[in-house]
Amino acid sequence: MDQLPQQLLNSAWQGAALAVFALGYALVFGSLGIVNLAHGAVYMWGALLAFLCVSTFGWPLWIALPAAVAGAGLLAVLLERIAFKPLRSLTAGSLVLWAGFLVLLAAFTVRWSAEVRWAILAIAAVLALIGLAIDARTTRVLWQRDMPRLAPMIASIGASLVLVSLAQAAFGAQAMRLPPGTFPDAPVRLPGDLVITPIQVLVLAVALALMVALNMLLARTSIGRAIRAVAWSERTSRLLGINVDRVISSTFFLSGGLAGAAGALLGLAYNRIQPLMGEDVELAGLTVIVIGGLGSIRGVVVAAFLVGALRVFSVAYLDSSLRDAFVFGLLILVLVVRPQGLFGRAAAVRA
Amino acid sequence: MLIAAATAVVLAGCGGAPDSQPGQGNEIVVGAVWSLTGHAALYGTPQKNAADLAVEEINASGRFGGRTIRLVTEDDRSTQEGAIAAVDKLTSRDRVVAILGPTLSNSAKAADPIAQERRVVVLAVSNTADGIVEIGDYVFRNSLPERVVQPNTIRTTLSALRYKRVAVLYGDDDAFTKSGYDVFERALDEAGIEVISTQTFQKNDNDLLPQLTRIKSAAPDAIVVSALGEEAALIMTQARQLGMTMPIIGGNGFNSPKLVELAGRAAEGAISGAAWFIGNERPENQKFVPAYRARYGIDPDQFAAQAYAGVYLLAEAITRANETTPAAIRDALASLRGVSTVLGEFSFDEQRNPVHDPVVQMVRDGRFELFR
Repeated sequence: MDQLPQQLLNSAWQGAALAVFALGYALVFGSLGIVNLAHGAVYMWGALLAFLCVSTFGWPLWIALPAAVAGAGLLAVLLERIAFKPLRSLTAGSLVLWAGFLVLLAAFTVRWSAEVRWAILAIAAVLALIGLAIDARTTRVLWQRDMPRLAPMIASIGASLVLVSLAQAAFGAQAMRLPPGTFPDAPVRLPGDLVITPIQVLVLAVALALMVALNMLLARTSIGRAIRAVAWSERTSRLLGINVDRVISSTFFLSGGLAGAAGALLGLAYNRIQPLMGEDVELAGLTVIVIGGLGSIRGVVVAAFLVGALRVFSVAYLDSSLRDAFVFGLLILVLVVRPQGLFGRAAAVRA
Repeated sequence: MLIAAATAVVLAGCGGAPDSQPGQGNEIVVGAVWSLTGHAALYGTPQKNAADLAVEEINASGRFGGRTIRLVTEDDRSTQEGAIAAVDKLTSRDRVVAILGPTLSNSAKAADPIAQERRVVVLAVSNTADGIVEIGDYVFRNSLPERVVQPNTIRTTLSALRYKRVAVLYGDDDAFTKSGYDVFERALDEAGIEVISTQTFQKNDNDLLPQLTRIKSAAPDAIVVSALGEEAALIMTQARQLGMTMPIIGGNGFNSPKLVELAGRAAEGAISGAAWFIGNERPENQKFVPAYRARYGIDPDQFAAQAYAGVYLLAEAITRANETTPAAIRDALASLRGVSTVLGEFSFDEQRNPVHDPVVQMVRDGRFELFR
């Protein structure tokens, strides 16, 4: 039996999921110039939220998946307001948000009983909502300044560590699985000795739908136009009366939602959800946006399928320990031959 | 909380008889070093549960006349430093006659030499790596090493399944899965089985479909896997996703309730070698399993069974020794032959390694059953 068709299939659905993940990366980089290294942690939370919805709340998958996507999107918005925005402009709302964050940490630093912990979490949530509301209405900022390029990246590393630690505190470090029968997993035999599972079809379909939807959103809608305007020039957008902070929040919501979708889908497909699951995909995603051309949507999709195929075929025809060597070899090759990435232009038109 | 409990036990002990010589008074002081926190807490916790249970049963039976065993438990936090500190404290402050543990082979290699130097008996109940009993003549173990368990798995499955060509899949970045692979490879070679494909993976890999697809295209009669618990579950799940139905034979990682918990239906048919089988019909086991379940609310695993057997072996040696000094207990332990335990008819060989029959088990309807 020839393994090629099956391996192509393996690389296709994983490339699709990787593309969804990396698009979120590219969106934030394109509009803000921030390399958000907490993206992998948001991905992990997407999977955890899907797990929570299905196993604890008992929701069916078709509700749990959108809920996890929305939850991950909100998480990314919170992340932006707590970790990135105060670096540009600090408001009273930011301080309330920070207070909420510290209360949240307090919920996990002591072994509270379950009721006390829920009460503390509720207080943190109320503080966060108040903080967000104040932040959205404030016109007077406590300070405003140009953000050094490195600062948000360092902040995102910190945010990533916090998100992973919170997941470990709340769910433990062990791998979790969705209850059996959440989604049919019986393999379907196709002609040519190909085997595909319904989960893989779901991953492919949802990923392709998300890619098309994102493209339409950026090209056709007013929020899409605003995102592209901010990406082109934040200052000009402000002069034109665009609410830049709101656009940035929307960008983060989309980015987080995409990460959450990828996390929930792959968490379901591998049926192994654990706090460190973001690490692996984070490096792959970063490679994808660099190879694709930073900020280029089309480039990201092509590069994701390329990296997905490389990861599968290096194992299929050579050796599993060489897998990452090939992926990063391609990265170095692209950086040497075409530093702007496959689809980037020297002066990149971003997003 | 566990640390607090351990400390409380220790403090109580110090207050009670600060200068008591081992073997004097009404208490025989035995130490235990378990990994109760850290990454190996998963293994150390059932060990502590089972050892506590065994000591209570022995004390209630009045086996030593008016005397009882007092177990002083220490947590090594899954680290070598923790194990060294624990063994040092048990041998110098608590003056124990014998120590059970430590949980991890790595910790044992660092800490056991201290006990050997101070002539205190160590009975390892979960160390399977090489170089443990070689530390010295006071170091014993009752845990069958992989090189005894896995060849038995191959022999037993071979006679039932009659496979000729197998594929091998193992984690090449972990000392345990790598040494498990070495053992399998030797056993397959000795049995004259042809290995037609050898694939590797790394810790935390989520996607093993490329490796499994490659194995599938080679069409082996069976797959032999050396993996830890989580990866074992992943392999079972993804192999079934690819529609692979050949027998899958695993090492230690497959011998865990975690396999069924994580892989669910996909774990059906997974074959693994083990030192202990929960359904064993020996009277000791028929008493142990329900007692453990009643007290802790979950099924015991192999770690629990080996720790439980360890306490009983020690008690047997103390009974046979004419005085409760470490030297006398050491000699009695070394001469134990054919003792009936939850693990089976148990003996120590000349090197203080365990001798008993390993088992081969298979997952059926979500439970481990004896492979026949």
